[in-house]
Amino acid sequence: MNIKKIALLAGLAAMSTQTYAANWLALQGTEAPNASARAKVWGFIQPEYQRTDGTKIPAGGFAGENMSPNMIKPDNKSNETFNIRRARIGVRGTGFPLDDKVNYFFLAELGNNGITKLGKTGVAATDASITLNHIPGARVRVGLFKTPTAEEGLQAIHVFNYVNFTNVTNQMMLERFTDGDGSSTGVNGITQSVGAFRDQGIQVFDTFKVNDWEHSYAVMYGNGNGINFGDNDNNKDTYVYWSSELIFGGKGGRRQGLKMFLWNQDGTRTLTGASNSGGAGEYDRTRNGLGLTFSKGKYRAAFEYMTADGMIFNGSDGAAVPGTPNPNNGNLASVNVLTDDKADGYYVDFGYKVLPKLELDLRYDVLNRGTETVAGERKFDTVTVGAQYFLNKKSRITFNYEIRNQEAPGFTDAQNPNLIADGLDDLMSVQLLAIF
Amino acid sequence: MKRLNILLMLILSLTSLNLLAESSTKPFAEKKVVLQISDPNPFKQTLVLNVANNLIKHYGPDKVDVEIVAFGPGLRLLMDGNVNQSRISGLSNNGVRFAACKNTIAAFSKNLGHKPKLVKQATPVSAGVVRIIDLASEGYTLVKP
Repeated sequence: MNIKKIALLAGLAAMSTQTYAANWLALQGTEAPNASARAKVWGFIQPEYQRTDGTKIPAGGFAGENMSPNMIKPDNKSNETFNIRRARIGVRGTGFPLDDKVNYFFLAELGNNGITKLGKTGVAATDASITLNHIPGARVRVGLFKTPTAEEGLQAIHVFNYVNFTNVTNQMMLERFTDGDGSSTGVNGITQSVGAFRDQGIQVFDTFKVNDWEHSYAVMYGNGNGINFGDNDNNKDTYVYWSSELIFGGKGGRRQGLKMFLWNQDGTRTLTGASNSGGAGEYDRTRNGLGLTFSKGKYRAAFEYMTADGMIFNGSDGAAVPGTPNPNNGNLASVNVLTDDKADGYYVDFGYKVLPKLELDLRYDVLNRGTETVAGERKFDTVTVGAQYFLNKKSRITFNYEIRNQEAPGFTDAQNPNLIADGLDDLMSVQLLAIF
Repeated sequence: MKRLNILLMLILSLTSLNLLAESSTKPFAEKKVVLQISDPNPFKQTLVLNVANNLIKHYGPDKVDVEIVAFGPGLRLLMDGNVNQSRISGLSNNGVRFAACKNTIAAFSKNLGHKPKLVKQATPVSAGVVRIIDLASEGYTLVKP
């Protein structure tokens, strides 16, 4: 090792000791040196109301049945629902406060959502990790935690500026686990909790402060089985992440700065094809992304672009609620997966604080799904108009109106895929948040 | 000669014991305040530094004499690498002194298996509570934020 390399490593090590909680990797995985509690109890509650017009499926084999995207998740039983979207309680800190080199993070979910409902768990641990901070420049986090990927998933949900995720994040990144690809006549349902942008594994990461800039990296090796305990196959996922941020001021989740980031997730999924759900086999699943976030004064903006290759959620048969019997043949509507196809998407997001307590938000997101075949391609775009009223620093009300569009570019307007797409309703939502 | 050496060492050690008290002298100080931090709560750590800062801001660095005495779990405030280290340095530049309880250092050493490294601004005192009593008897006002 030459002197330059030694000097560089020594410099990085020295810088790493000067940094502390200041970005998602650090905020969620580390504690402030010698200034953290043995056990800090915290959490948040998100009651909400969502509604669509409840338009039925206009065409196709499931015509007249409830249209899945017009039904409020995760129950799919009504187009107008009050729900406790999230109710989380956790504890974090340094168990032995004199040794700030070991810290932990635990959070449990008691709300009604894709984690608890689809996983049929009622209560689920969303995060359970231990971070070892012994090696300068290479902190080690082990357990269940958010993966270093897309900003929309990685960021703390209680500072998320909208009620619902973008199409690209929801369909491409929020992983659904099924037995098969839905190509056969048997029912293919979601068998466990959504991935929730999390995985179990080991992550090496750290943050280096250089003047007003903060550079962070993360490398992770995990089960590739989302939030679910244990592994479902022998394949593992790898994650690589880098971000550089020019810091303007502030701290925590609402710190102001200009952050640029890029990441990669690579893994393989196993479909068993159980219950005649089709598509048994192993399939590669790759996700890539880049983006930036900006926050300064009254202004806030974000952009992300993501691509997907393999294992892409492809909606349900005829847009019906999964499990709905087909009136023509009695087959139950399945969830479908594009095992070898591609997708890409992006969103742009702006926020402006018109008053100290009132922020207006505007977001435009696009998802091109199944781009490898003309017949399979679907385009989704949504304009979300929003407002956030901050009651205080720990609680706010969020109002969103989503103008939703879907298109099947390989078909004419008179063909079923586009006739069904025309049935997609706009969605209105109001959410209250209290952090404790 | 041997007796002279012992006498010299005695004088030196007494001088070093008084170093904290003597260095505390602010000839123009009109107010004298000792701040106690004995709580592990991070908010208390921030609060005690805020109070010291507010005293300096209000009275001016030359007009107020402030010493922060850390003992028990509160000694974490003075451990090297502390998230508040830059604030401690800034306050020290304005004449705020930091006293670290030797009894607590000994207890920490036992728990940790090694002596804890403290920030360079920390001056060990035989016992935090004794230091507070001594300062109080010298006219310092005790504040426990």
